[in-house]
Amino acid sequence: MECREMIALIHEFLDGEIDELSNQKLQSHLQACATCRRHLHELQRAIAFVQSASHVHVSPDFTARVLAQLPAPPKTRRFSNWLRNHPFLTAAAVFLFLMTGSMFASWFEQDDTLQISSSSMDKLKIDRERNVVVVPAGTTIDGDLVVRNGNVEVLGKVKGNVVAIEGKVVLASTAQVAGSTESIEAIFDWIWYEMKNLGNDLLPILP
Amino acid sequence: MDFVEKRLTQRAKRGDREAFAELIEIYKDKIFQLAYRMVGNREDAEDIAQETFLRVYANLHAYDESYKFSTWIYRIATNLCIDRGRKKRPDFSLDEEVEPGQGMDWYSRLSSNEKGPEDKVVTQELQETVQDALSQLAPKYRSIMILRYIEDLSLQEISDIVKLPVTTIKTRIHRGREALRSKLRFM
Repeated sequence: MECREMIALIHEFLDGEIDELSNQKLQSHLQACATCRRHLHELQRAIAFVQSASHVHVSPDFTARVLAQLPAPPKTRRFSNWLRNHPFLTAAAVFLFLMTGSMFASWFEQDDTLQISSSSMDKLKIDRERNVVVVPAGTTIDGDLVVRNGNVEVLGKVKGNVVAIEGKVVLASTAQVAGSTESIEAIFDWIWYEMKNLGNDLLPILP
Repeated sequence: MDFVEKRLTQRAKRGDREAFAELIEIYKDKIFQLAYRMVGNREDAEDIAQETFLRVYANLHAYDESYKFSTWIYRIATNLCIDRGRKKRPDFSLDEEVEPGQGMDWYSRLSSNEKGPEDKVVTQELQETVQDALSQLAPKYRSIMILRYIEDLSLQEISDIVKLPVTTIKTRIHRGREALRSKLRFM
């Protein structure tokens, strides 16, 4: 009767979870009872046998065999890994994407109305009928003159570039243009022009 | 160790195969050992170990990092062992017992060569008796005894692996110990 109780304590003892009081009870019982002493000893031996079971090792090519069986990584994952591994190229690609996007947008969004940008608007004459912006003879325009959806006729002086988008630049014999004159008519010209501007902005020191 | 494993699992989750290979290196022998002691032969044990790692890889995205990685991988392996036992029970093979040195790899053979031939036979016999005693336990006791005494895990970790309360684990260990005692007492 008492021994059955003690077996429970023996297991608590083997789990390392016996409390002090129970432990004292168990130890004094073990000194008196040879059966329980043998029982504990046999349990400890059984544990030791199991623990001594020699440690087996998997065959040496195991890792290689498992790796060979792994499914191919999904494409998206490979792509995102590539992005992660090339942060600079990723940033450049995003930049280029946004830039071309905004360029196309600025191309397609424009309407057909005549648009002029110049620092001295008051000196320009606008011929509505022919859709022409005229730089009158004897006047001097400071800075660039950019016209959209119309031609430019230069009779006077421009101290900068003259650009006609979707139009032509006509220079009279009296015209003096300090910068370059450009007519832009197709979207690729437009892109090229934007790129060139960007390049000029980024490299202001170079001539 | 836990930190290293966490880093490795995070990298493996992102599809980094090198990190996964390192995880295999850390766990392959432990998992193989568990499987070998569960099923009793190398071939099936390697199959189970392989399947364990393939499942780990396939389910990495679902791995909950609040658990230890070891808990998770041991759970997968234990379940595979028990499933395998269910399927394979009817067709056990007589050849398995005849083949000498099963489960003994080159390492253990090398080390046992240092002893005299008689000791070698005794060790061999003891190995087989222990394996025999283990395989006579019901799988739910066998797995827990292996996790406790061969893999050397704590009661708490075993409870996490098999998702049963610690008190249940204790009861099973007590019964498992008694069963092993009665089989090994005359050794």
